[in-house]
Amino acid sequence: MLLVNNIYFSRQSKTILKDINLSLPPKGIIHLTGNNGVGKTTLLKIICKILNPDEGDIFWNGKNIKKNHYDFCKNITFIMDKNTSNENLTVYENIIFWKNIFSSQIKINEIDSILKVLGLLQYRNTSTIHLSFGEIKKLELIRLIIEQKKLWVLDEPFVGLDLKSVEIILQTITNHLDLNGMVIFTSHTLPTIPNINTLNLEINE
Amino acid sequence: MSSLNSILGVFLRELKIHYRSFFNILSIFLFFILSIIIFVFAIGSNKELLNQIGVGIIWTIILLSNTLSIKKFFQNDFDDNSLIIIHMSGLSYEIIALIKMLAIWIFLQAPFFIILPIAFLLLEMQFDNLKIVYLSFLIGSVIITCISAISGSMNLLNKRNFSMGGLIIMILSIPVIIFGVNIINVSSNIEIIKAQINILLGIMFFFLAISPWASGLCIKISLQNK
Repeated sequence: MLLVNNIYFSRQSKTILKDINLSLPPKGIIHLTGNNGVGKTTLLKIICKILNPDEGDIFWNGKNIKKNHYDFCKNITFIMDKNTSNENLTVYENIIFWKNIFSSQIKINEIDSILKVLGLLQYRNTSTIHLSFGEIKKLELIRLIIEQKKLWVLDEPFVGLDLKSVEIILQTITNHLDLNGMVIFTSHTLPTIPNINTLNLEINE
Repeated sequence: MSSLNSILGVFLRELKIHYRSFFNILSIFLFFILSIIIFVFAIGSNKELLNQIGVGIIWTIILLSNTLSIKKFFQNDFDDNSLIIIHMSGLSYEIIALIKMLAIWIFLQAPFFIILPIAFLLLEMQFDNLKIVYLSFLIGSVIITCISAISGSMNLLNKRNFSMGGLIIMILSIPVIIFGVNIINVSSNIEIIKAQINILLGIMFFFLAISPWASGLCIKISLQNK
């Protein structure tokens, strides 16, 4: 269970987030919407403890994440608007790097299956510098499967993806929720996730 | 165990990335050799003079070569948010800085051990002094790597002025230059050499202690201001 309690955040004397509260139970999904610059990404960064709020606390399973940061990290996957794959490494090397640092139990043949589903198998040994934006984005989203964490925090996960890939990601999210997972994401489009109640949180300017 | 996996994973990634950007690294060593050649042409074939100032030239150019590699430290991983992902695997920014320092030392400092004899040859220096220069460089290279890590991370805080990092390296490296060069001048007296080495070791341990902490703090602040 994720609990965000009375979050305030300002930057250069400009208030960006004011009294933000939300709770995310297992199988819960929150879709953050709002105009550009209202602080959607900022809120996600605060949840992931990359930014510290001016006021307010975040609790994970009843414990304040300030005191249990590394324990919280074990349960969270953050997909950012930027792609973190290294352009000097191949698709496969990037995946193996993520597998190593997150001590993932995923097997090599499973990685190949995921690459095949996403249409990336042919680029397995290609440097990511030679991939298109959408292909790199798909590679980035593979981290969701590799990390095998409970809480997925996704910043604009559908940008750059073709319709087929969007459907695959939506299905992956649905499967994750079925397995008691939690998702919080920002998107300017309104994806249809079947049988899931989506709470639209509008962040006011 | 999972932290050990993460450390090993990040270290292997660093080695691969440096290996893939081999030609960038090669250009740094070419810069070193070409700078030595330029010095030789500028000073002329005065063997005695070259012998006297040779070590000073070598240390100065090593420093300048290092200023070229500052951007390699954290900038790319900062720009593409990899630092955040690595941090979220459970590694502190200080540990990340330490891993990067080790990888940078292997790829950007250790090769100087192969190149130093070439510099000795070009500057017509006495090869008897090579051992003592190796020893001082072994310690000095660690210090320079630590200082480069600090200036590389400070560069993240200051997006508009990359020359600042080079200036920081030069200012903080003055003690290394003083003791690294002076060690040759006193090479006839083993007791004074020991004292100079001890001072260099002291500086090395000081920077080894503070640089991961300072770099980690700079990374953290710069990510918060991103």
